Amino acid sequence: MSRQQATGHRQQAMGNGQLSRARQEASFPCPQAAGKREEPRRRGTFARRFTIAIAAVLCACTSALQADDSPKLAFIVGKVLVMDKTDSVINNAVVLVSGGMIEKVGKQSAVQVPSGYRRIEMPACWIVPGFVDCHDHVVGSLSDLNDMVYLTNPGLSTLDTVEPHNSNINRAVAGGVTTALLIPGSGTNMSGFGTVSKTAGDSVADMVVRSPGSIKIAQAGNPERYWWGVGRMFMNFNTRQTLEKAKAYHEAWVKFEKGETKEKPAFDPIFDGFRGLFARTFPASVHTQIYQVVLTTVDMLARKLDIRTVLDHSEFDGWKVAPLIIEAMAKGHSIYTIQGPRAYHLDRTQRKIHGNAARWWQAGNPLLGINTDAPVVPQEQLPFQAAMGCYYGWIPYEGIKGLTRIPAEALMVDKEVGTIEVGKQAEFCVWTGDPLDPRSSCEVTVIHGKIVYDAKLNRRF
Amino acid sequence: MTKLEISRGAGRGAAGLLMLLVACAAARAGEPPAKVALTGGRIIPVVGEEIAKGTLLIEHGKITAIGEKVELPHDAMEVDVSGKVLMPGLINAHDWQGLDVPNENADVAPYLDVYDAIDPSRLFFENSLRDGVTAIHIIQANNCVIGGVTRVVRPIGLDVDEMTIKPRVGIKMSTTPKGGFDRMLQMAMLRETFLELGDYLERLAEQRYEEEQKKAKKDVDVGPAEARKLGKELVRPEDYDDMHANLVELTGGRLDAWIYAGAAMDVGPAIKIAKDNGLLDRCVLVLGPDSFKAVAELKAAGRPVVLDSTLDFRERDALTGELAETFVPKVIHDAGLTFALLPNPDASLAERYQTYQAARCVREGIPRAKALEAITLNPAKMLGLGDAMGSLEAGKTANITVYSGDPLDFNSWVELVYIDGILAYDRAKDVRIRRLFQPPGADEKPDEKKEGAKDEKAPAADETKPGDKPKEESKPEVDAPAPPKPEEKTPPGEDEKKDKPKEQDRTSRGDRDGGNRKKDATRSGGGSDA
Repeated sequence: MSRQQATGHRQQAMGNGQLSRARQEASFPCPQAAGKREEPRRRGTFARRFTIAIAAVLCACTSALQADDSPKLAFIVGKVLVMDKTDSVINNAVVLVSGGMIEKVGKQSAVQVPSGYRRIEMPACWIVPGFVDCHDHVVGSLSDLNDMVYLTNPGLSTLDTVEPHNSNINRAVAGGVTTALLIPGSGTNMSGFGTVSKTAGDSVADMVVRSPGSIKIAQAGNPERYWWGVGRMFMNFNTRQTLEKAKAYHEAWVKFEKGETKEKPAFDPIFDGFRGLFARTFPASVHTQIYQVVLTTVDMLARKLDIRTVLDHSEFDGWKVAPLIIEAMAKGHSIYTIQGPRAYHLDRTQRKIHGNAARWWQAGNPLLGINTDAPVVPQEQLPFQAAMGCYYGWIPYEGIKGLTRIPAEALMVDKEVGTIEVGKQAEFCVWTGDPLDPRSSCEVTVIHGKIVYDAKLNRRF
Repeated sequence: MTKLEISRGAGRGAAGLLMLLVACAAARAGEPPAKVALTGGRIIPVVGEEIAKGTLLIEHGKITAIGEKVELPHDAMEVDVSGKVLMPGLINAHDWQGLDVPNENADVAPYLDVYDAIDPSRLFFENSLRDGVTAIHIIQANNCVIGGVTRVVRPIGLDVDEMTIKPRVGIKMSTTPKGGFDRMLQMAMLRETFLELGDYLERLAEQRYEEEQKKAKKDVDVGPAEARKLGKELVRPEDYDDMHANLVELTGGRLDAWIYAGAAMDVGPAIKIAKDNGLLDRCVLVLGPDSFKAVAELKAAGRPVVLDSTLDFRERDALTGELAETFVPKVIHDAGLTFALLPNPDASLAERYQTYQAARCVREGIPRAKALEAITLNPAKMLGLGDAMGSLEAGKTANITVYSGDPLDFNSWVELVYIDGILAYDRAKDVRIRRLFQPPGADEKPDEKKEGAKDEKAPAADETKPGDKPKEESKPEVDAPAPPKPEEKTPPGEDEKKDKPKEQDRTSRGDRDGGNRKKDATRSGGGSDA
């Protein structure tokens, strides 16, 4: 894709909140997706639930297929960044992949490559876990970013917009991004459920890892434009009401399921999707930045509703909330901070530039990651975002962790991906060097144990 | 103490978030010392006689003794404030600043709560502290019919809960039309809200009665009127919906009515709506500049009033061109009404300072004691905090402002502010004030130092700055009563930034020409968009 086209896409993403429908359609650059728009929209909840069911079945089928399909690979490389809890690094290493999983990791001197394995020898290169982007819009169709029906739209889900093989996904794979949370935009306080998805696959079922992947909440800093403008007082009231109703719904069902009451609650197609949020099987990804807004996110979602909370963006002076986050963490609340894409904050009253990631880190926030908001920032620039964080004072190793293990934990996919450990899915990239070094390039991308991108065959960047 | 307790304590112990960040050194103060004695200062207690040289003892955040001679416990730490003047901390009776926007786009919205929009990092709170204000009533602005629940906060704390003094004070109402409304519509909506509330409660009672009968497997064997009567007792607090819950609190006496009457002609309707709904004995009237014209009605109602900070009302006769000037607080005072003076949020005028307004009142013939009450005790009483603050008396909260001289002298500075016994502000450590009064070229000092020539002078100049700033210099102009206070140094874009990161980012690049702008918006604005 040319530079121009990329910019076109970016404008498209921006446009949803601002341009008229007509203009969006006129400017849409991709005929395939434009054609898709003519299909009747699946609005019915049953249709959606049906889709999910089909997707689940397909998922099961294809993963079985993959197991048969997936090749046996042996990577012989100069360095493996394991990114595990002990921060181990293996030099001159071998990574064996079979059945879609990592079979063995170790020093070349200790691990024999069995016969039948395809040897991929890249002795100067590094293997790094595939990057996980917690805040991303590229896996779906960009014309379906924001449905600003109400100020909170809990019935919507990005599962309905997943678009295999769109041009942005190709950028992602070539840039080392392997798992992405596809979320709707921030035009309203609650714009729908997100979808955890791989950046490779021929069908929706191939790609989707979990749906709902998260509930997208935009605390403030965009939804203000809804209607004739709303303030934080109304927005927070409204968001809280929606979540409290959903929580009450979940609790009523839990009570019934435990047999504490015989009164069966009425099924609600909209609030039913929230049950996982309160059962803590998926998090809330929150568009939040600026001190008071981040404060509200922490207070309302993490402290009071005890939801697993992922603070996306967390820019401007949001880092000043760190002491309260650490306090909340100590009380058992789950809060991940996924910073970006603004790398620094210019504080005019103090006349200082603060590196956002560095300030979060210095304030003692251990669960810090990086997001791109792609295609606002092109997807392949995720490591560059982390590099900028380090340019303004963060630590490079932590930067890589903030692209791999931390976001995987935040999205609750850390049992499958995020590190190079035996038993996890083979999902990693081979880099020519340190991925945070802008001179390095991603040479090979492996997802589900299969090589989905090979720069030698089809170099992208 | 765990790591996080330290940081929390820091917020509490130093001087709120911003002071904490600006004057980082003050951050680790922890809990306030248990016992502090302020000795040697002149004490203006507002209630009772002035003490020319006395001692004020603070124990665990409360004032425990005050007088010429106070026996100090052996474990009290002494702070010598000789030559200085102690006053109760000022109280701001009505301010929307500290919220992200003054009003919501909603006419009747009693379900709102300012809790959701107070930003502890607003410069407003820091400036309030600098001006000696220790309690602020945060209430949404006047562009509404019925607004949300209000809250009294202190200007320190990392989050709203930590700032809160009193969480649910009152409900905002306005008889001055909201933008786009006329007076008939405004009043109709006010009336309808309360009429509908009555109807809602009746229906709710009926519904509750039927529910209970059903639960007991009994028939509903009475008519609706009877059911409504019987059901009244059965309504539980959780039965009220969001639209009505706070209105029930209001009419039930657990919230006060803060009614804005921005013109003299809105005063009558405000009193009427309060009277009609049983709110008259629990309402505070917030008045506009020409309110004195309704003084007869105000006097008859006898309710406390919050005055507009435009103290002088000027009106030119359309025919003769003659200028009539009225000093509003005097008229209100002469009518025997309790009043509070508000700082003007539009800042660059002297009316910004409550002490200046009180001084003006004294000049216009209001007794000094009454003028001081208007910025301390009166607002405290209006907020239902008359027993807790507003004067220096044993048993009250230790909210104390220490001035360098008489508080009504405009050359006096706020030196120290204690809130709940915590030293929340110390001018000697006020980094912004120090920077503000740095002489021109002070920034280049390090280079000069290197040259060695001015080694001696530079640091010396630096030290004199924080404390004795240009008191002398500010005197010459008689008509400019305000020495440039910190407030003005806020870059104009600052508040905008909080609300509209995007716009700010755009302007910060100086990118205002149409051609580049779109491109720029796409790139930088996108960060928060998607």
